[in-house]
Amino acid sequence: MTQLPTPIQHETLPLDRIEEELTHVLQSFREPGELVHRARMSNLVIFCDDADRVDEIQELIPKIVAVHPARVILALHGSTEKEGPVTGSVTAWCSVGEEKAKICSEQVTLYSSGKTADHLIFAVRGLITGDLPTNLWWASPTPPALAGSILNEAAEHAQQIIYDSIGWVDPARGVAATGAWVGSMERSLSRGQWRVFSDVNWRRLKFWRRILTQTLDPNVLPGALDSIAEIEVAHGPHAVVQAWLLVGWLASRLGWSVTEGHMRPGVDISWTVQAPHGSLVVCIDRLPDGPSEVRQVRVRHNAGGKPGVLTVSADGGDRLSVVLEGEEASARTLAIRPQPLDELIARQLSDRERDSVFRDSISFAETFARSVMR
Amino acid sequence: MSSEKAGKIENPLASGVQQGLIPQPCILVIFGAAGDLSWRKLMPAIYNLNMDGLLPSNFALCGFGIGAQGDGDTWLRERAKSGIEKFSRQPLVQSHYDDFERCVFYIEGSFNDAQAYSRLKAKLEELDQQFGIPGNRVFYFAVPPTVVEICVSRLKSEGMVLEEETATRFTRVIVEKPIGRDLESAKAVNAAVATAFQEEQTYRIDHYLGKETVQNMMVLRFANSIFEPLLNGKYIDHVQITVAEEEGVGTRVGYYEGVGALRDMVQNHLLQVLCMIAMEPPYSLAPNVVRDSKTEVLHCLRPFTPGDVERSVVRAQYIAGEVHGNVVPGYRREVTDFFSKIGKTAPTDSTTETFVAIRAYIDNWRWAGVPFYIRTGKRLPKRASEVAIQFKDVPQILFNANPDVPLDPNVLTVNIQPEEGLALRIGAKLPGPKVRIYPVKMDFNYQTGFGKDNPEAYERLILDVMAGDATLFMRRDQVEAAWRYLMPVLDAWENSRVRYLPEYRSGTWGPLEADRLIEADGRRWRLL
Repeated sequence: MTQLPTPIQHETLPLDRIEEELTHVLQSFREPGELVHRARMSNLVIFCDDADRVDEIQELIPKIVAVHPARVILALHGSTEKEGPVTGSVTAWCSVGEEKAKICSEQVTLYSSGKTADHLIFAVRGLITGDLPTNLWWASPTPPALAGSILNEAAEHAQQIIYDSIGWVDPARGVAATGAWVGSMERSLSRGQWRVFSDVNWRRLKFWRRILTQTLDPNVLPGALDSIAEIEVAHGPHAVVQAWLLVGWLASRLGWSVTEGHMRPGVDISWTVQAPHGSLVVCIDRLPDGPSEVRQVRVRHNAGGKPGVLTVSADGGDRLSVVLEGEEASARTLAIRPQPLDELIARQLSDRERDSVFRDSISFAETFARSVMR
Repeated sequence: MSSEKAGKIENPLASGVQQGLIPQPCILVIFGAAGDLSWRKLMPAIYNLNMDGLLPSNFALCGFGIGAQGDGDTWLRERAKSGIEKFSRQPLVQSHYDDFERCVFYIEGSFNDAQAYSRLKAKLEELDQQFGIPGNRVFYFAVPPTVVEICVSRLKSEGMVLEEETATRFTRVIVEKPIGRDLESAKAVNAAVATAFQEEQTYRIDHYLGKETVQNMMVLRFANSIFEPLLNGKYIDHVQITVAEEEGVGTRVGYYEGVGALRDMVQNHLLQVLCMIAMEPPYSLAPNVVRDSKTEVLHCLRPFTPGDVERSVVRAQYIAGEVHGNVVPGYRREVTDFFSKIGKTAPTDSTTETFVAIRAYIDNWRWAGVPFYIRTGKRLPKRASEVAIQFKDVPQILFNANPDVPLDPNVLTVNIQPEEGLALRIGAKLPGPKVRIYPVKMDFNYQTGFGKDNPEAYERLILDVMAGDATLFMRRDQVEAAWRYLMPVLDAWENSRVRYLPEYRSGTWGPLEADRLIEADGRRWRLL
């Protein structure tokens, strides 16, 4: 792509004029002697019921379609008393490709208001393009597991449901409900249907999981995993679910089970955990400020009968550093790519593989959550 | 695959993750780090892997060879930086580069100097301590085939090669093409490498196999039910494989003269691509199973008789012409200029071919009677590589009944470079009251379709070596089978003692002889 996408915004329309208007918009991009290609790898349905996020999402869309061209259907619902018809507007995001051809992604924005968003879902159904995968991005602060029928309706034809657990208002309830919700959504699929669930927050942990896997590898640090005595995960504001997922991942991989847990909301959470080698303590600490992400993981272990501490820290926004206390090896760093939300979403759209590690991790995170809700 | 190694301690944190994709802690030692390949390709590839967070956390790079000026570490870091700035897929970001260069080192020494290897060994052991690396090594031979033997021998005598991979340690070697210049020398190179490295430790690299579209050929064939049933002699008229380069030999005269297009391109890139498109479905994706399937194709290639070489192989040399409006010299002139520049006597009657076209047949059940036309050349009008699978014509009734209005056959094209993608040509009715058929192209382009930069082939391949996945590397028997197939051609050329090859003007699509080769079968080369 040689040029950032350029939008054309059109006025609000009745639904039955949307396809016609889209064609008109795309034609208006064509200069003499040029081709205009409609590029779409999937339908991307974005459901947003948070008025404060609409502008942010609108800004992300051109960046997302620059990586993953899609037919975007942005469904906005304002919960007011006043019921009204669903209306729409159309936009196209084009960039100049090879030989002056324009590559365009189309966007339909739907607006509804009233007590329920039922009408909105009907409108979405009519705009989905067949024979393309459908992704639903649940851009709502309500955890999808607690969203009720509106999400079930919106997800009807979706092969992938993407949500972001960062900033959930009631993280413990959200985490506790997610594992069961994913299970029930999978069971409700009819034969031949398939669907994956993706938490953008899990994707953010990719580099943390990679560096912990590498540094605690029994072939690199023999005995460390089998002798963990304590794990402390420190995170910035609103990132407790991310820390929770990391702990769930470790527990699922290392065969831990929760004995008991305590939570001081907004401060810390601690668990006593039974591992195959004995009990250990897991703590999640909230830092008062800083980026909303996991910031440090400290692992106390007794590898080879010798106490040791491995600390992995976020070092600025573009690297993780590893320090082995008492070792002569120099601090190591892993370069990490900044992961803005648009890139995370765009990459996730084409990653349609069912991630069994994620499924296991949210199941374990659920047991950790239930232990502190007792 | 690493998980298959006896005694390997499983990492529970890695369970559920594709093992082949996990690079293991190691030191990458580049032999010939001062060379062009290292500068243009390897350093940028490793930097990009670092940028993408794909390198193992316990990693260091050590260059080895001659050519450094001043302090070796500083020199290599500067050279790496300039290579990254010039050739990297991703721009140089200073903060990332600072991290990267901290793990780049250099040992100056001749490949034949035992003391240099002692210094290298000591340095690597020091880096093991510094970076927490459990003694793992990847030796990358970015050197001419003639010095491979001595490098292997020195590494072995210095005790730098593990006899086999153990639970926690490995030594692997990457050998660059060309592997020899004929069957005999290829066997010699392979035998020399095998004196120190087992086949499982040996990774013979052909960067074409790291390209996304080449890998996509297997996906295209075996993950889509619509193509595979049609890819056989019943439905396919012929296949054309083209690798066209617009550049001449340029600064590579020293390497290219006496080597030529057959050895440089056909023996490796083109035959490997042919294997991908013609192989039978492997029963699994295990590296050796996939490589078995590919090797079978090479075994099925119909051997050339001396008469076949006359009829089915064309070689030629470019003469002066124009490329993109620039007047460019002929091959012989470039050779003369190069040798006089370095003060050596130039061969005045070079018969090194810069263009080859071959008609090949695969004598197995699937492809019996289907010609595979292969061509590659330098100084052609554009840089383009593709595989085109042309389907047979529909019967000459209905829409194909009128000989005055020919119906274009369907063609499935896999574009390898510069654009990666695939296209299918089909006939469609032109709008209007008359029935008029017009060929339309259904096009998929990797970049516009998936909208992201594809990693460079070397990135994928280096990562595979660190992860111990040999699927995309050539096995010894593959390399030797490819040479065995081409030896009758090389022998016939050697024995012909011709003093002039057919010529083609730079900026054209090759010699008339190549056109005649395919036109004799009632077909034409595709215009790329």
